[in-house]
Amino acid sequence: MSAVVSDSVGPNLSTIGEENAAALDSIRRAQSGDVDAFELLYREYAGRVYALCLRLKAGDSADATELMQDVFVKAWRRLETFRGECAFSSWLHRLAVNTMLENARSDSRRIARVLPMDDTSRLAGAARSSGIDLKMDMEDAIASLPKGARLAFVLHDVEGYQHQEIAEQLSVSVGTVKAQLHRARRLLRERLER
Amino acid sequence: MTHDVIRHLLDDYVTGELTEDARAPVADHVATCAICAAEVESLNRIIARAAELPKSIDPPAEAWSNIRAAIERDKEAVTAHRVSSIAGIWRRPYVLAAAAVLLVVLSSGGTALYMSERSSDEDSSRSASLNSASGATPASLAAFTIEENNYLRNVAVLQDLLDQQEASLAPETVAQLKASLRTIDEAILEARNALARDPANKMLIEMLSGTYRQKVDLLRRTAEMTRGS
Repeated sequence: MSAVVSDSVGPNLSTIGEENAAALDSIRRAQSGDVDAFELLYREYAGRVYALCLRLKAGDSADATELMQDVFVKAWRRLETFRGECAFSSWLHRLAVNTMLENARSDSRRIARVLPMDDTSRLAGAARSSGIDLKMDMEDAIASLPKGARLAFVLHDVEGYQHQEIAEQLSVSVGTVKAQLHRARRLLRERLER
Repeated sequence: MTHDVIRHLLDDYVTGELTEDARAPVADHVATCAICAAEVESLNRIIARAAELPKSIDPPAEAWSNIRAAIERDKEAVTAHRVSSIAGIWRRPYVLAAAAVLLVVLSSGGTALYMSERSSDEDSSRSASLNSASGATPASLAAFTIEENNYLRNVAVLQDLLDQQEASLAPETVAQLKASLRTIDEAILEARNALARDPANKMLIEMLSGTYRQKVDLLRRTAEMTRGS
């Protein structure tokens, strides 16, 4: 018997039952092509999506802005597929992670030709490597994590997703998610508490 | 459980993801092992700090205008695609053939009308009522549905009239008329199917409405021609 229970702690996001009436109205209007209604949705959710994008993109604001813009343009294109089976914020967050992974796949094909990928932390951490010796800010420390560990930590400990949900989104096993999470926490402790 | 085994369970221990059976021995061990107790404390601090991070951060102000511009470009591209699809229907050979045949029939009908001045009060009255079917394009699918029923009723009346008077037309004119009606009917069917897939498309409504008007007009003119033959 496994010593670990199945995930029971869901993401710290609003559920469909808590989606406010104004947001639901905006979603319906936007689904019928009303861009002004979509702007209201953007104003409501952009802050959370941007915070996620910023952490997924290791604190690079230009990359995070580009990712967030991609996410909302995709959301507009796919809005008719939103059926309210989950909270709109969850739907947007999933879209953000998927978009980031899709972009990363095409980026990695390009980068692989010029940079060895055995240590992905070089990509995010290179600019900050001199700062790691000092006591780091939490955001900087997260940004300095290797990509896999960073994704697992941001999605689980910051956003509140369950191991299983992260595993499905990243197309890896639950065991891999837990291992990356353990690695992330260990690295953060080393960098924040030395 | 040994110290090494328990150390691997500490992540799940601090997040409350261990079963009750596994949790008790881990808790007992942590209570007596300084290394594991320090690790639990450290993990709790990291998790607490993660939970304290801001959930929302204001994006750059220009982001929305970039998104809106991309959406507007998308909408323009979709409209262009639809116009192109509709234009494609009219580029089909049989639709062009219908238009060509229609011109021939209307031209023949015009000549026949010119050659004859006979008419009856009854036919004039019927013709006037049929003309009312070829009004302006309906603005919505609901309005078009009402208008379509009028077209279909008028087409049926005219078709009956023509069937009765077919013998009075030249055989080649009858052949042209039937070929033209077939091609117009095919165009109507195609536009009707397209409208079923995209009911809100005003251009399709306009196109279908126009095709019905052509059919009614063709039948009406041919009926007038038979009166003059």
